[in-house]
Amino acid sequence: MSGRRVRVVEAGRMPYHRALGWQRALAQARIDGRLEEDLLLLLEHPPVVTLGRTAQGAHVLRPEGVDVVEVERGGAVTFHGPGQLVGYPIFDLRGRPYRQDLHWYLRTLEDALVVALAELGIPAERRAGFTGVWTGGKRKIASIGVHVKQWVTWHGFALNVTTDLSQFERIVPCGIEGVEMTSVERERGKGKGETELWDEAVVAVMRGFERAFDVEITSQESSCWRCETC
Amino acid sequence: MATNVYMEALSPTMEEGRVAKWHKRDGDAVKAGETLAEVETDKAIMDLVARADGVLRQVAVAEGQTVPVGSVVAVIAAPGETIGAAGSAPPPAPALSGKGKGETGNVGVATAPAVATVSAVSGADPSRVKASPLARRMAKEAGVDLKLVTGSGPGGRVVRRDLQGAATVAASPPTFPVSRVPLPERPEGAYQDVPLTQIRKTIAKRLATSLGPIPHFFLTSEVDMERAAEAREALNKQLGDQGGGKVSFNDIIIKATALALSRHRACNAWFQEDHIRYWNEVHIGMAVAVEDGLITPVIRNADVKSLAEIGREAKELADKARSRRLQPSEYTGATFSVSNLGMFDIDQFTAVINPPEAGIIAVGSIVQKPVVLDGEVTARRRMRVTMSCDHRVIDGATGAAFLQTLKQMLENPLAMLL
Repeated sequence: MSGRRVRVVEAGRMPYHRALGWQRALAQARIDGRLEEDLLLLLEHPPVVTLGRTAQGAHVLRPEGVDVVEVERGGAVTFHGPGQLVGYPIFDLRGRPYRQDLHWYLRTLEDALVVALAELGIPAERRAGFTGVWTGGKRKIASIGVHVKQWVTWHGFALNVTTDLSQFERIVPCGIEGVEMTSVERERGKGKGETELWDEAVVAVMRGFERAFDVEITSQESSCWRCETC
Repeated sequence: MATNVYMEALSPTMEEGRVAKWHKRDGDAVKAGETLAEVETDKAIMDLVARADGVLRQVAVAEGQTVPVGSVVAVIAAPGETIGAAGSAPPPAPALSGKGKGETGNVGVATAPAVATVSAVSGADPSRVKASPLARRMAKEAGVDLKLVTGSGPGGRVVRRDLQGAATVAASPPTFPVSRVPLPERPEGAYQDVPLTQIRKTIAKRLATSLGPIPHFFLTSEVDMERAAEAREALNKQLGDQGGGKVSFNDIIIKATALALSRHRACNAWFQEDHIRYWNEVHIGMAVAVEDGLITPVIRNADVKSLAEIGREAKELADKARSRRLQPSEYTGATFSVSNLGMFDIDQFTAVINPPEAGIIAVGSIVQKPVVLDGEVTARRRMRVTMSCDHRVIDGATGAAFLQTLKQMLENPLAMLL
């Protein structure tokens, strides 16, 4: 164990623009040293299409009825919506166990999700040259796009848990023609309730981060269980 | 003096980098820490950040262009310094293709939030800013650079009112440290639905199978903790000399409860539909508050462990519980539980039984109270303990006898040695 801690904040469903403002403020606070610990924001967005820095307009096929937002993350076009577990690590990559290496960071994010999916009973893998997490060789289950300033990260990953996959028909996901998107629910088959699957996925992602990044996940400030007054 | 802006490596093996986007244009005022441009690799974007205040000049690389790591992509001229004429360099050619992506100078980029009273100063001497002491302190607290604040006081002096807007803006993003389900502002709408987390759901399920179906009854006793406190002080002094960890009141309560249970097996039991399992082993569950719920890690065979062992284990389990690292084997199998809200200044409360256990004690805070002792009123440290009993297993007198033993042990810690 590296002993480095990451605080998980489960923020529920949050509009994209609000989460974005929040991420930027948190990242700047981390850069300035006002925020002293690394965070992993876990949340879900109402339907939205986002364009990363390599996105092309032609990759948005059906923008009707959904917000289209251009953002500063790496990567192309993607869709976020209910049932998709979105994770935004606000990590300061300076110092162990992290590295000042964005390729390392991307690969480790992928590893974390591969571990999480294994916990959920889904064999998943990386594909060289195609950032993201894949299963069954060519079905994409999680997308990744990150941004870093002075080695502090924001943006992150989107793991389809029970996402309505037909929404991806609005776009050319990741700018790759013919890519098939999938979800935890589709890979595992129905059976579990949506909320149960979601909670399982949240726990699995925390485990994945612990293993891949060699950090300790906390979700609580230390309290006074053993304070001297009692 | 001019400062070069270099193409930076996004990873140690990277040899060249592609400029995805310029945030600043030739001639723009920039300050240290501001994002000048974005560099791209794979699916990551990194900000190239200004290392000095000044004016951006000689932007040498267009958007979409790839250059070797270490090459100069622009220069930051000190204010007033002349390095080429403003606007003489051609504007960088937009490289992103596709509809609506031509000129991207003002498309949703990550610039710092604009502050009404803050504006970039160009040409002025930045080294000396006239400001009132209060304004200086406010600026420091709000993280505002005074050089960028237009003063409205005499002679351009920065005064409090110039910073009030800035301070509000600086303070309005989320406060730190973040707490449970923090939101950056008051959410829209009258209410917010937050899905149940796994732990909340488990608590709901388990406790609903308790207070409803289980016929609870409650017994309360006030315990004199004066001697336990003295014993603890002496013990901690000794442990401190040996460099060991301290013993808390909670450790003493766990130990005493376990010992009392070993003498009252009728209270150390599980109700199991068609039978009652009376346990010979004593495993104490201790309720630990964690974010968004509680969990009861188990101190096994607490009746035969030393106080120091219990203290060590309790601390370790509580830490693990808070970081959600408890293994199932560490929070299942308790035969009786202890819940302590003394640290929250709760005098007395009733706890809900954790089935299939048949009892739990709820421990309040230790408070100094006037009590009559040997015909005289004196101040003593007192603590209220309330036991919740499952009447299917424990009858009133059975529970009372256990509680009496527990009280005796806490009031006379030497009794624990008997």
